[in-house]
Amino acid sequence: MLRIDNLCVRYGGIVAVRDVSLEVHASETVLLVGANGAGKSSLINAVIGMVPAAAGTIAFEGRSLDNVACAMRARAGIGYSPEGRRVFPSLSVRENVLAGAIGAGIADKRERYDWLCGAFPLLAERARQPAGQLSGGQQQIVALARAMSAFPKLLLLDEPFLGLAPVWIDRISDAVRQMQGRGTTILMTEQMARPALRLADRAYVMRGGEIRRSGSADEIRAAALADEYL
Amino acid sequence: MDGLVTTAIIGLSLGVEYALLSLGFTLIFGILGVINFAHGGFYMIGGYAAYAAVHFAGMPFPAAVATAMLVTALLGYVCELLLIDRYVSDHLTPMMITLGLYLIISTALIVVFGPEPADFSFPIRGSLRSGGIYITYANLIVLLVCATVIAAVYLLMYRTDFGLALRAMADNREVATALGMRPAQYFPLAFGLATGLAGLTGALVTPTLTLSPFLGDSILGMSFLIVILGGLGSLGGAVIASFIVGIVEAYSRVYLGGSKGALALFVVVLIILVVRPNGLMGRIGRPA
Ligand SMILES: Nc1ncnc2c1ncn2[C@@H]1O[C@H](COP(=O)(O)OP(=O)(O)OP(=O)(O)O)[C@@H](O)[C@H]1O
Ligand SMILES: [Mg+2]
Repeated sequence: MLRIDNLCVRYGGIVAVRDVSLEVHASETVLLVGANGAGKSSLINAVIGMVPAAAGTIAFEGRSLDNVACAMRARAGIGYSPEGRRVFPSLSVRENVLAGAIGAGIADKRERYDWLCGAFPLLAERARQPAGQLSGGQQQIVALARAMSAFPKLLLLDEPFLGLAPVWIDRISDAVRQMQGRGTTILMTEQMARPALRLADRAYVMRGGEIRRSGSADEIRAAALADEYL
Repeated sequence: MDGLVTTAIIGLSLGVEYALLSLGFTLIFGILGVINFAHGGFYMIGGYAAYAAVHFAGMPFPAAVATAMLVTALLGYVCELLLIDRYVSDHLTPMMITLGLYLIISTALIVVFGPEPADFSFPIRGSLRSGGIYITYANLIVLLVCATVIAAVYLLMYRTDFGLALRAMADNREVATALGMRPAQYFPLAFGLATGLAGLTGALVTPTLTLSPFLGDSILGMSFLIVILGGLGSLGGAVIASFIVGIVEAYSRVYLGGSKGALALFVVVLIILVVRPNGLMGRIGRPA
């Protein structure tokens, strides 16, 4: 589904992603773990096209994204939930969710919106409230639902647990499982390895812009435990 | 008593005209983050386009007004696409461009149509009188058309995907793009919509007042006043502020007279801004 070969991302002189190759297969959930500054967001942003790739190739469904503009990548079926939620603050919760489904038919939109409201009662309860007035965790749900309402083939989730209490982490995890239940392919980043690994099939560990380790979720969990006790 | 009511009606119709005028101005600021100094220029183009359509092409007045709106919308679309779009993330450059555009427009109008006011008047005369209440048919028609168009703009902005995308881009252009919306496609349309509204206002209102190539400054000034009062970038705020300005202007004109009337307006605006420094409504679009 997604194939990244020898990707580099640079900001001026700073190399944020160095020669990274990874693959995400259809219907699997892949996790990128790493500490602050590891290059996770840079990689995600290069996939959606918010930052340019300095070198390497990114291919989605076998097609190179090299000359595909950011908006067109979204339209090709890549959904994006940015780090730090970044909901549209002045738009209502309902409008935020529907903003992800712009271009879809009226019947499609209604169906998706109803499904999302069923999955997250919060959306229906706060439908008319400006999203900027919600709490951090609530905003994260909105940002997720906004990305999901496009019914993307590939969903990019950048640190969905950032700054959230355990109860909200559980709720977000449930949301991600709902998406998995629909067969959505997911590439997510997280610093909180434990709860994130519970959702993932496979994981890559990033440090200093490079991939240091990769394996099944269980292998990475075991390795992380070993690291902690060493 | 009748005088009070008649003045209120004048205030209302002024308010609706101001609302239509300032909607485009606040729209461009709210969505593109650009202050359009050429707004008054597009208002004048609307007036002169309608005038030319009636006097040189022999069009009936309603067709002339529609043509004027189309012409100004198209001009705005092209200007955004060719001149403004690539600088839209900058703040100063688009201002300089629209200022230059305004100078070109007003000079061109003087060269083409001459400095004298054009002989352009509303095709329907007479007025509606009922129990001492009084409004000219011209004002009544302008009021109805403006109110209809304002309602249409509201529906466009709050009930369609187009409006949703514009407001989303106003909030966060980068994220909106990452969700599949294309500013390069929407911004020229938004700009054209805004200049089309200015042109429509010019085509409707100038025949009830005057049409001259020197109107632009005062139109821009009035748009600024209303939009600051309403809260920069807020559509609802601009409409409410327009009615306040219209009513204050009508009453002070009748009961205070010329220059004192203008003073009363500024005093009211000043008082409101002291109480609410960000205007009546915060900006739609970007958070304060
Ligand atoms: N816009 C930018 N300009 C310059 N340097 C940047 C920019 N964004 C990120 N960087 C640098 O790139 C490196 C990787 O940053 P990135 O945001 O990708 O890390 P991350 O793994 O997402 O970290 P976090 O967990 O804190 O979100 C960092 O050294 C950072 O300083
Ligand atoms: Mg990050």
